[in-house]
Amino acid sequence: MSTVQVEVQSLSKNFFDQSRGEVKAVQEVNFECRGSEIFGLLGANGAGKTTTLRMISTVLQPTAGTARVLGHDVVSDPVEVRRNLGFYSASTALYPRLTARETLTLFARVNKYPAERTRSRVEEMIERFGLGDYAGARIEKLSSGMKQKVSIARTVVHDPPVLIFDEPTVGLDVLNALDLQKAIQELREDGKAILFSTHIMSEAERLCDRIAIIDKGRIRACDDLEGLRAATSQHYLEDIFVHYVTGNDTTA
Amino acid sequence: MDWTAIRLLYLSELRAALRERAVLINGILIPLLMYPLMMWVMFSGILFVTARFESFASRVEIAGLPAEHQALLEGLEEDDGQIEITEVDAPPGSAAAAYREEVEDRLLAGELDAALIFETTVDPPGNAEVSLLSNGSSDQSQTARGRLERALSAERSAWLDRIADEHGLAGAEWQVFDVRSNNLATGRQMGQFLMGMMIPLFFVIMIANGCVYPAIDSTAGERERNTWETTSTLATRRIHIVTAKYLYVATMGLVAGALNAAAMVVSFRSFLGPLLARMGGGGGSGFAFELPLTSLPVLFLTAVLLGALIAAAMMILAAFARTFKEGQSMVTPVILLVIFPVVVLNDPSMEFTPALAGIPVVNVVLLLRQAIAGNVLWLQLGITVLANAAAIAACLWLASRILRVEEIATGSFEGNLFQFLRQQWRPAGGKA
Repeated sequence: MSTVQVEVQSLSKNFFDQSRGEVKAVQEVNFECRGSEIFGLLGANGAGKTTTLRMISTVLQPTAGTARVLGHDVVSDPVEVRRNLGFYSASTALYPRLTARETLTLFARVNKYPAERTRSRVEEMIERFGLGDYAGARIEKLSSGMKQKVSIARTVVHDPPVLIFDEPTVGLDVLNALDLQKAIQELREDGKAILFSTHIMSEAERLCDRIAIIDKGRIRACDDLEGLRAATSQHYLEDIFVHYVTGNDTTA
Repeated sequence: MDWTAIRLLYLSELRAALRERAVLINGILIPLLMYPLMMWVMFSGILFVTARFESFASRVEIAGLPAEHQALLEGLEEDDGQIEITEVDAPPGSAAAAYREEVEDRLLAGELDAALIFETTVDPPGNAEVSLLSNGSSDQSQTARGRLERALSAERSAWLDRIADEHGLAGAEWQVFDVRSNNLATGRQMGQFLMGMMIPLFFVIMIANGCVYPAIDSTAGERERNTWETTSTLATRRIHIVTAKYLYVATMGLVAGALNAAAMVVSFRSFLGPLLARMGGGGGSGFAFELPLTSLPVLFLTAVLLGALIAAAMMILAAFARTFKEGQSMVTPVILLVIFPVVVLNDPSMEFTPALAGIPVVNVVLLLRQAIAGNVLWLQLGITVLANAAAIAACLWLASRILRVEEIATGSFEGNLFQFLRQQWRPAGGKA
């Protein structure tokens, strides 16, 4: 079995909101993710998926608890965490005035990919994601499908062992979403540990090896699909989700 | 410090900026082309207007010219030939008022440009009271008035010379004061004085202008485009990302200032110099617009200091903005804050004292003015560098404090710098 790449223990995040006061966005979240695994965070909008993934990617600091990526703590060693991580979300847009090739080169170099191998790695990514004809075009001139491919390429260009995809198919048409899912499956086959958040049941069902159902900042259940079916006597993930979110109040 | 990451991010910011129309226009094209274009327009305009007036024939009427002063007519005709003179006899005493009224009506109607009416002769013979009538609201009439005044003055001098000669007096004996005005400044010094008045002022404005768009674009612009989160997941410390952005904004300010200064010197030499020479400016010396070599390092130093200071101040304010529009409204006060003292203190008589050298921005302007005049005041230069370095360090310290606040770094802070400072210094319990 692959080694644990991401460990999350009692991770919590509180925000202060002027109208609502203290908001507990994530509470006591625990899970781990191994190499060659897609770990899904399934939850409704506002459930705490993005906040959890942002803490793991060091964009936000936890209020309590710990998260480690390849043993590096997100608070005390954030640069090493980011070096070993690729983060993709709907809110991580590309620099519109750079070309695809310039973007990939920048991300490879700043993320400490060896300088002497950067050029060949960038060309490999351009080839792998079918960007050849557009590699010299500015991002702002590309179609949304091509932008999405460049986004995935920039997420993986420094060959990180851990990848985070935060609701990656939001706003994509069916064909682009399927393309993205295919790319994520290929990355799992490459041995990557992948954290994947979504609120789309079919997507979680198709892609994830294990699923954590998250609601109001807490993980309500965490298992593979068969395990969740066995625990709830429900077949469809949608029913399993409803069962945990509305019918079962126990905490994980 | 991770200088590799800083260099890569800095170059990538610059590359992206040079592909942005607004940055190119504000940071490069305006500083480079504004003055040559402005001065070319001014030069062409003045030449056009001058030529237009020179081609006009002034229509003047002279009434009751005494026989002793017929030379006045010759003087007017010799002036430049562009004059149409109608000479009439003096109207009899009873008709004088009516004649004057009629001349005034023709002047106001534009049928006549100026009139000279010799009203009464007084003793000794040849002396007279003269009315010079013109229409102050008409350029053509003003030109005609000028021509008549010059002719009258020449005729008066010639007349006095003749009288003095008859009495056996040399000119110097009756003139009391024989004023010989000498401007000791060389044309180069005159040019440096004028450049010293104008270049520092526009230099500051252009550096501020050059910093505005990059400062907003690299902070609020990133948030608006959703690229801030992308940047913050790069494997380098946040302070390195901010350093790269800061250096980029300062570079754009420096480039704008340097280009602007170069463009101004070229414009002064190519357009303003010939224009002033044509208009008779600069006394006998004329103007020579040449920067002393010693001013060039000072110019570069001041561009660096100002660019670094203005960039730091603007980035602190723009860090709170979540959209480009918010950024514009937050950064605008910096421009006013920088320009206000420069405009107010742009007094040529102001001495660059060590005390003034301690005031950021003002000291840079005064230092630059002195350098353009060919003076390098080392004490003031040292104080200026220290004062600006201290101000820059204070701004960067504040920036690092601000960026430690997660809500600001992620763009979820609702407020501006002043609200942030109030929260920071509020007694414990003020902020959750």
